[in-house]
Amino acid sequence: MIDPELDPDIEWIAREAKRAVAVDPMAVERVMARVRLEPRPRVHDLRWRWIVEPRSLPLSPLVGAALAAGLVGIGILLGHSQIDRGGQTTPTGRPQAVAELRPPLAPHDTVIKFVLVAPQASTVAVVGDFNNWDAQATPMTRTPTGGTWSVAIPLHAGRHVYAFVINGANGTTQWVADPTAPLAPEDGLGAPNSVVLVGGSAS
Amino acid sequence: MSDDAADVQRVLSGDVDAYAKLVDRYYDRCARFAIRMLGNRDDAEDALQSTFLRAYRALGRYQERDRFSAWLYRILVNQCRSIAARRSHRERVFVREEALLLNAPDKTPAWTGEDEEFVQRVLNELDPLLREAFLLKYVEELSYEEMAALTGAGVSALKMRVKRACDRLRERWERIRDD
Repeated sequence: MIDPELDPDIEWIAREAKRAVAVDPMAVERVMARVRLEPRPRVHDLRWRWIVEPRSLPLSPLVGAALAAGLVGIGILLGHSQIDRGGQTTPTGRPQAVAELRPPLAPHDTVIKFVLVAPQASTVAVVGDFNNWDAQATPMTRTPTGGTWSVAIPLHAGRHVYAFVINGANGTTQWVADPTAPLAPEDGLGAPNSVVLVGGSAS
Repeated sequence: MSDDAADVQRVLSGDVDAYAKLVDRYYDRCARFAIRMLGNRDDAEDALQSTFLRAYRALGRYQERDRFSAWLYRILVNQCRSIAARRSHRERVFVREEALLLNAPDKTPAWTGEDEEFVQRVLNELDPLLREAFLLKYVEELSYEEMAALTGAGVSALKMRVKRACDRLRERWERIRDD
C-alpha cells in the first residue's frame, strides 16, 4: 500500500508507474563519454561558498563589539548605495529588473546583481544555467523599504540564460523573464528566459 | 561520509571515473522519472544526458549537508521541465496561473491492452505540473517538504496539484470502466 488514503484505482496506476523501466545498457557509457570531455568541476565555487555560507566563529566580547561597530559602518555604506539606485524602482507593481555589473571577484568571474521589482511576491529567486535552474539555490532578498528584490552572484565570463521565479502570497509560482533584458532565443518555444553577457560586449 | 559524498570528493580530486559510480547508482531511478514525465524515451534520454552532464559541471557547488539524490533530482526535474517546454509551443505551463492549471480541460486516452502503455498514456494526458507532482509524490514517494525543495512550489500548491492529478486520473478511470 503506497498511501492508506489512496483509492485502489489510483494506487494501481502509481504501482504500474513505479515499475522499473528498461534502460539502454550503454546509456551510462554515453554519459561518461561526454563527461570525460569536460574540464574538472570548478573548485573556486567552493571558495565563494566559504565566503557566503553562515558559520560560527569564537570571538571575545571586545572583538565582537569592534566587529559590530564595523558592520554598522558597512550597513550605512550599503544603504547609501541602495538609495543611489532608487531610480530602478517603480510604483506600478509590475516586475522590473536589471542585471548590474560590479568589479570582478576573481580573474574570470564578475559579480552580477539581479534586481526585480515585485511588490506582491512572497519570495523571489533567480534561476539560470549558472545554478542548474534550481529555484532554491539563489533566493533574492527583499529591500526593507518596498517590493524590490535583489541578489548578487559571481558569474563566469560568457553568455548566461536566466529567469525569475516569483512565489505569490496565494501559493502561485510564476517563472518570468527579466523585463529589462534581452530574451533568450529558446523563449520562442517555451518558458521565457533572459540573457546576460558577462565579460564581453552584447551581440 | 556517505558513499555519494565520498564519490563526489573523489571526482573533485580529479578521479573522473568515480562519477561513473554516481551515474550508475542513480541512472535507473532517474530514467524512470524522466520517461514517466516526458512520455517518450528520446526526450528522456536527452533529459538524462543533460542532467548528469550539468550535475558534473556543478559538482563543486554540491553541499554534503544535502542528500546527493535530492540535489540530482532538482537538476533532473528542471531538465524535464525545460525539454517539455521546448517540445511544444503551446506548453507554456511554467508561467500559468495556478487557477488555470487546476481547471484545465482534459481528454481520455483509450485502453490499449498493455498496462504500462495505458498508464503512460493516462499520465501523458495530465498537465505537466500535475503529472510532475503525482510522480514525485506517489512514484518517487517524496514528502511534500522534499517536493517543495525540488520544485520551488509551496507545500499547499503541491498538495492541490496532487489532489487534482488524482481526481483527473480517477475521472478517466471511471469513464474507461463505464465504456
